[in-house]
Amino acid sequence: MKPQHLLAAGALAAFLCGPAAAATLDLVEPIAAYKIYVSEKLQTLVTDTKAFTSAVKAGDIATAKRLFAPTRMSYEAIEPIAELFGDLDKAIDSRADDYEKAEKSPEFQGFHRLEYGLWAQNSTEGLAPVADKLMADVTTLHQRITDLALPPEKVVGGAAALMEEVAATKISGEEDRYSHTDLWDFKGNFDGSQKIFELVRPLLENSEAAFVKKVADNFDTVDTTLAKYKDGAGYQSYDKLTDGDRKILASAVNTLAEDLSTLRGKLGLN
Amino acid sequence: MMSRSDDPSASRSNRRRQFLIGMSAAATGALAAAPAHAETAPTQRHVTDAPNAHASAQARWPFYGKHQQGITTPRPAAGMVAAFDVIATTPDALEAMFRALSARLAFLTQGGMPPELDPKLPPADSGILGPVIEPDNLTATVSLGNALFADRDWLRPLKPRRLQRMTRFSNDALEARLCHGDLLLQFCANRPDTTIHALRDIVKMMPDTLVLRWKQEGTVPVLPAAAKGRAESARNFLGFHDGSANPDAGDAKLMQRVVWVGEGDDEPRWAVRGSYQAVRIIRNFVERWDRTPLREQEHIFGRRKASGAPFDGRTEFDVPDYARDPDGRVTPLDAHIRLANPRTPSTARNLMLRRPFNYSNGVNKAGQLDMGLLFICYQADLEAGFITVQKRLNGEPLEEYLKPVGGGYFYVLPGAESADDYLGRTLIEAARAAPSPT
Ligand code: HEM
Repeated sequence: MKPQHLLAAGALAAFLCGPAAAATLDLVEPIAAYKIYVSEKLQTLVTDTKAFTSAVKAGDIATAKRLFAPTRMSYEAIEPIAELFGDLDKAIDSRADDYEKAEKSPEFQGFHRLEYGLWAQNSTEGLAPVADKLMADVTTLHQRITDLALPPEKVVGGAAALMEEVAATKISGEEDRYSHTDLWDFKGNFDGSQKIFELVRPLLENSEAAFVKKVADNFDTVDTTLAKYKDGAGYQSYDKLTDGDRKILASAVNTLAEDLSTLRGKLGLN
Repeated sequence: MMSRSDDPSASRSNRRRQFLIGMSAAATGALAAAPAHAETAPTQRHVTDAPNAHASAQARWPFYGKHQQGITTPRPAAGMVAAFDVIATTPDALEAMFRALSARLAFLTQGGMPPELDPKLPPADSGILGPVIEPDNLTATVSLGNALFADRDWLRPLKPRRLQRMTRFSNDALEARLCHGDLLLQFCANRPDTTIHALRDIVKMMPDTLVLRWKQEGTVPVLPAAAKGRAESARNFLGFHDGSANPDAGDAKLMQRVVWVGEGDDEPRWAVRGSYQAVRIIRNFVERWDRTPLREQEHIFGRRKASGAPFDGRTEFDVPDYARDPDGRVTPLDAHIRLANPRTPSTARNLMLRRPFNYSNGVNKAGQLDMGLLFICYQADLEAGFITVQKRLNGEPLEEYLKPVGGGYFYVLPGAESADDYLGRTLIEAARAAPSPT
C-alpha cells in the first residue's frame, strides 16, 4: 500500500466515528482497497485520455476511433464516484439528448462530442478544443478524487448505481450511439460494480449466503454472455448483440440492480 | 405538535385494523369461488357496460377459479396490458416463474399489507397506494405469446393449435417495439394507480425472469349507476358506444362456446379452460374524425351516435335485421358492425368477446393527438374469431380513421383453482410428461 492510501484509510476511519461506526468499522478495509482501485482506474484514465485526445488533435481519425472505447472503460468502472462531481461528470460524459438542441448544442462536449465527430462526421475538424477540455476535466477529476475521503454509502451504493446506469440508459444501445461500442462500457460498469461487491463480500458470506450466491451467479451470467462478444482486447459492435442475449443481460442487470440496492442496508449503512 | 389525526403511526394502525376487518368479511364472501361481489355496480352486467363511478376500493374479485379473472369480469374504468420476455429455459425455471407470479397476483388482487422492512433497506412496496394495498377491483390475467413456445424445443409441441405470431393486416403499420412478447399481463382496476402499482410490483419482484417489453394503458368513461335497467356501454374515443352487441358474459353456456377452450376442442389438453386473446393498439385519427359529417360517421359504423341504436332499432341493445335489408339500404353493407358480424348462420362461429379500453398517449410529431383504442378480444378459436373478422373488416370505410400500430396474439392460461394451484400448472405438467426432444 502506498503511503497516500494509508493516509486515506486513516482519514476514513476518523470520518467513520459517527453513530454508524460500529456497523461500518468493518468497511474500513474494503473502502481503503476500493480507494486504491479508483486511483488505479483514474491513473489509467488520465494516461489513456492523453493518448486519445492527442490522436484527435493530430487529426488521426483511425487511432482516435481505436482508442475511444478502451479509454472510456476506466471511467465507466468508477462512474458513481465520478458522479460525486456532477459538473465534471456532465462535462466528461453527457449525451446529446441531455440538451434541448442535441448535437447542435454548444454545451454538448466531452467523450460523446468527440465520438459524434469521429463517427457521425468522420472528421476531427473543430474537435481540438473539445479534446483539450476533456483532458483538463479528466485531470481535475483525478485530483479531486485523490483528495477525497470516499463516503462509505456512496461506495457501497455504487455497486447498484452502476447497474441502474446500465439498466436505464445502456441496455438500449443509446449511450455510444455513433460508435456502437456500448459493450465496452457495459464491461466497465460491470467490473466496477463487481469490484465493490467482491470487496464487501466477506462481510456477508456467512449471514447472507443465499444473497451472495445469487448476486455472484448473476455476475457470472453477465460474464458468460459478454464473453461471447469478445473481439481481441475489446468487444464487437452493439449491433451484434442478439435479441436473446440482450434480454438475458437486461434481466441480469435488473436483478443485480434490485439485489444490490439492498447492499447498503445489509451492511448497516444509511 | 402533531395533532392526533396527523400522527402517521396512529392512522396507519387504524387503517390496518380496518383492513383486517375487511379481510375477515371478505374471507367468508368474495374470497370464495362464487363471484359474491356485492360492491360492484349491480347494473353493470355486460363486460363492456360503463363502469360505476362509485366502485369501491375494497371490492375484490376472486383470484382462484376455473377460468382466469379479467375476461368475463365486468370491465372497470382502468386497464393496462404489459408484455414481457420470459427468461426461463427449463421447465423448472418456468414453473418457478409461474408460481412466483401467481403468488404475487393472488396477493395484489386480494390486497393486504406489505411487510415492513428495516428502513435502511428499500421498502418492500412502492407505496403509491399507501401503507395498505386495497384490491380496488384489480384483476390480473396472464397469457402466453407464440414466441414463448417457438423459442423452446420442449414447449413447441404444446403450443395451442391456433397460436401464432401476429402478422400485418392491410391497414396496419406495426411498430416492432409495440408488438408481441412471451407473456402478457392484463391489469384492470377502478383506478389507474392500482394497475400501475401492480405492474411496478411485478417489475420489482420478478426481474430475474420477466423483462418488460412494452405496455399500453387505457380507460373507459365511468357513469353514475343507472337508476334502473341496464347501464349503457361505455363510449370510445370516436364518440360511439362500444360493446353494445357483445355476447352476454353472464351467460356461462354462451361463454363456454364463444370464449373458453373446452374438452372437445382440438387443442392440447393442458389448454382447456383457457382462451385466445387478441390485443391491438389501434390509433384513431381523431382530428379527422371530428371533421367528418355526423351522417357519414354513423354510416361508417352502422349505428346512431347519440343512442348507439342500429338504424332499424331504438336502443343500442336492439338487434339489426339484415335479412330484411339485403341491399344495405338501411345499414350499409360495408358498415363496421355489418362486416364485423353479418349475423348469418355461418358467421355465428366468428363471435368474440370484446373488452377494449380507450388510450391517450400524448402528441405525435405532426402535432396530432396520439389516441385510440386498446382493442382486446377473447375467443375459443383465434382464427374463426379475431383473424376472420379482421379479414372481413380489411378495407372497411372506418380504416381511413384508424392505424393499428401494435399488439399481439396470446393464449390465456386456464385458471388456478386454489391456493395450492398456480397459473401454468397444466402446461408445466404436460411439458414434463412429454418425451423430451433430444
Ligand atoms: C379503433 C377501432 C375500432 C373501433 C373504434 C370500433 C368501434 C365499434 C363500434 C362503435 C361498434 C358498435 C357497437 C358495438 O356493438 O360494440 C363496434 C362493433 C363491433 N366491432 Fe368494432 N371497433 C374497432 C375495431 C374492431 C376490430 C379490430 C374488430 C375485430 C377484428 C372489431 C369487431 C367488432 C365486432 C365483432 C362488433 C360487433 C358487431 C355486431 O355484433 O353487431 N372492431 N365496433
